[in-house]
Amino acid sequence: MTTEASRRHAPALVCLLPGLALLALVLGSLAEQGLLDGLRALTTVTPANAESLVRHYSWWPRLAMALLAGGGLALAGVLMQQVLRNPLAAPTTLGVASGANLALMAATLLAPGLLLAGREWVALAGGAGAMALVFALTWRRALSPAVVVLAGLVVNLYAGALGMVLLLFHQETLKGLLIWGAGSLSQHGWHDAAFLAPRLLLGGLAAWLLLRPLAVLELDDASARSLGVSLKHLRLAGLGLAVFLTACVVSVVGVIGFIGLAAPNIVRLAGARRLGPRLLWSTLLGALLLATTDLLLQRFAGTLPTLIPTGAATAALGAPLLLWLIPRLRLEAGSPPGAATALAPRHPAPGRLAAGLGLGLMAAILLALLLGQAAGGWYTTVEEAVLAWRWPRLLAAAGSGVMLAIAGTLIQRLTANPMASPEVLGISGGSAIALMAAIFLLPAPGNLTLVAAGTLGALASLTVLVLINRRSGFVPERLLLSGVAITALFDAVRAIVLAGGDPRGQQVIAWLSGSTYYVDPVSATLVAGLAVALALAARPFARWLDILPLGATTAAALGVRVERARLALLLLVALLTACATMVVGPLSFVGLLAPHMARLAGFSRARAQLLGAALIGALLMVLADWLGRQLLFPAEIPAGLVASLLGGAYFMWGLGRR
Amino acid sequence: MIVSCLCTAVTAAGSPAWWHRRALLVLLLALGLAGSPRALAQPAIATLDWTLAETLVALGVTPVGVAQVEAYHAWVGAPHLPEASVDLGLRSQPNLELLANLAPDHILISPMFANLAPRLSHIAPVATVPLYTPGRETWPQLHELTHQVGRLAEREAAAERLIAETEARLAALRQRLPERVPPLLVVQFMDERHVRVFGEGGLYQAVMARLGLENAWHGETNAWGFSLVGLEQLAGLTARLVVVEPYPVGVETALAGSGLWQQQPSVRDDSLITLPPVWSFGALPSAIRFAEHLVAALEEASHDD
Repeated sequence: MTTEASRRHAPALVCLLPGLALLALVLGSLAEQGLLDGLRALTTVTPANAESLVRHYSWWPRLAMALLAGGGLALAGVLMQQVLRNPLAAPTTLGVASGANLALMAATLLAPGLLLAGREWVALAGGAGAMALVFALTWRRALSPAVVVLAGLVVNLYAGALGMVLLLFHQETLKGLLIWGAGSLSQHGWHDAAFLAPRLLLGGLAAWLLLRPLAVLELDDASARSLGVSLKHLRLAGLGLAVFLTACVVSVVGVIGFIGLAAPNIVRLAGARRLGPRLLWSTLLGALLLATTDLLLQRFAGTLPTLIPTGAATAALGAPLLLWLIPRLRLEAGSPPGAATALAPRHPAPGRLAAGLGLGLMAAILLALLLGQAAGGWYTTVEEAVLAWRWPRLLAAAGSGVMLAIAGTLIQRLTANPMASPEVLGISGGSAIALMAAIFLLPAPGNLTLVAAGTLGALASLTVLVLINRRSGFVPERLLLSGVAITALFDAVRAIVLAGGDPRGQQVIAWLSGSTYYVDPVSATLVAGLAVALALAARPFARWLDILPLGATTAAALGVRVERARLALLLLVALLTACATMVVGPLSFVGLLAPHMARLAGFSRARAQLLGAALIGALLMVLADWLGRQLLFPAEIPAGLVASLLGGAYFMWGLGRR
Repeated sequence: MIVSCLCTAVTAAGSPAWWHRRALLVLLLALGLAGSPRALAQPAIATLDWTLAETLVALGVTPVGVAQVEAYHAWVGAPHLPEASVDLGLRSQPNLELLANLAPDHILISPMFANLAPRLSHIAPVATVPLYTPGRETWPQLHELTHQVGRLAEREAAAERLIAETEARLAALRQRLPERVPPLLVVQFMDERHVRVFGEGGLYQAVMARLGLENAWHGETNAWGFSLVGLEQLAGLTARLVVVEPYPVGVETALAGSGLWQQQPSVRDDSLITLPPVWSFGALPSAIRFAEHLVAALEEASHDD
């Protein structure tokens, strides 16, 4: 009885805390110029008085905007998590933010006239485009959650990579968009709030109408269908609504991380089980959390020489909170996934397929070594002085491709989650944070310093991962959540750094894009050697890798010491990722794509998949490196970005084909 | 409206600014011509940094290679790079094969790109020329940079002349300033809600100090002498606003409907000054362009009063 009552009240208590904090902050801020004057500024404005001006045109609209945006994102987050049945799903999972970002960038560069018609419409169109692509790719699979999540991830990646290329070449023109990308709530009038409020109200109303049908999605597919529900159309409605809400918020204030992921999870943790209460409390909590963070930020960050955008700050503050929460989360025992493993039928002769890929790799290496461009045009050469520039890059590209592909295969099988990749695990993110710190805090960092900083960062995040997950025995869901938290921290740091507009940001962008540019013969040889050694080290794990995806209980019954196997695999993944990150940066996504591509091609058993993924990873990186150097000659597109574009395109084609 | 009429004022032939800029151009050409008989003996220089590139061109040197030539012309503008300068690709990742092919005698970089030095030094000796070092006065550092580039390009005399001419121009411009100029607030729009406001440690501040003008922004700034702030932080400052173009697309429309912006004193009494784009992290050539534009605009505004 008491537990039932306390459960019912727990979400309210969770909301009370930020609610009280918010009230205290609002009153504290208003008291600075007199409570009554502050309140009066809400409705009337005294032009001669600067404080009253700021209150009326900036402070009050900003508070309203924070509440609206926080509520909207949290609402969208609940809908996403409900439809996709994945607690890691966030409002931006389907590529809305990156689609909007890409549309804004493209419009700024190619058709500035469109922006005159209204930025928010361009952003909305971009977000809707990304969503439409995801739906088109997954329509024939009845928008099944696992496939939708994957397609969203790839569309996100693809738009992100294209955006990164544009940014690399037009950093000066696009610097304003970097602030938008970091999510600033700064206001100078009531028009944005007036744009958002009716749309969110409409969205809330639609969510209320969809409440009963959406609750059916908690059942499995067969039971839901037996109730006479069209799953496809229900999912379309739920996701469409979530995307609409997200796109509205994003188009006005930019990308605000974490709220849409955290608020629904906290409310669920606090004990809200049914969809109705979860929607209600999450929306309230999201609004309160964002407004409180924003007011705190205004209070304490005002004196810094650079703007700390709220969106990035919520992510930066939220990440440690999430890390603290993870050991306390009660996660359901991992259920074996079905859809991702069944993406494609097994190839009848994986050996022949692998041999073909090997030949392809050889051909690509020859092509990349001998053919290139100079100021005069295309030429082939075997001149040693020229080859000396090319072979280290090739070797490093191939080596890091192999390492990331193997790391990706290991982590996807270890966690039985198709969204898992070495990048998602946070090890690349940790090393990237350390690298950015080195670029910005040291006067003229050399390459050795940068490598040392990166290694330290990778080790630090690995330590955090192990410490947080040791007690739970490295449960995959927790592991991934920890990784997501570290990656969110990395995204936040990157967004803050880039939004500040420091010219050194260019260096950061170039390195983050994943380039083999900085490789010299020594490091290339080292990378290739390590790749071979670690690839051989991964072979004996193949049996574990076939068994672990079946779930912990099955694995233990088959005689695998699950905990030890997980730790060993995790360490191997960390080692592979750290080595590859040093060369190609943290955002190559080969680790995500290569294992999926191997599976799509028909490598289904663990050993075959390891081999196939390694070959595909190497081929992808070698081709990407060569194409990246030729496409926009003399400018070079980093190999990591080209690999994301190539791999992403193949992946989308593979998804849409069946 | 303010923008367009100021622009016409600045560009109108016959205005004093126009003649002075003409004189500067002639001087730069003369410096270039004076060096040309020795051109064959000149070391071939490539640079990744636009600030160093503009200094090289001002010294009459044709760099064999410059990174991101097109973007240089969009953002630095003047002095125009000679046709013979080859585009090296991205500043952060210049094309090494191409650079090796050009076989320069020196490669000039700024400390920002120090991590490229080991790779670049396989091609030619790399000189790292410091600029905008935190904690150091900007103006003396710009002199030093000019001297250092002059030495590397074997154009010491031209460097001396560029410095002397810049100082003379600044002194002359200072004489032309109107009697009383209120403190200035120099901003550049990033989007309709955020501006960079320039203060301690930046090029604009250094030039304003040389001209004896007061900067109204006393807040913290980063290593490059600017601070990114929301529009609301400009409210309450008694200063004349100076907006450095370009406005990002759509910003002017958005500002017309912005309550906060329309209540800015400079916007209300129509005393806002708009300047054509000048590279905000530049060296002496950018400094003198900024000074010319600013003084011309201030003069024009005082005639209107």
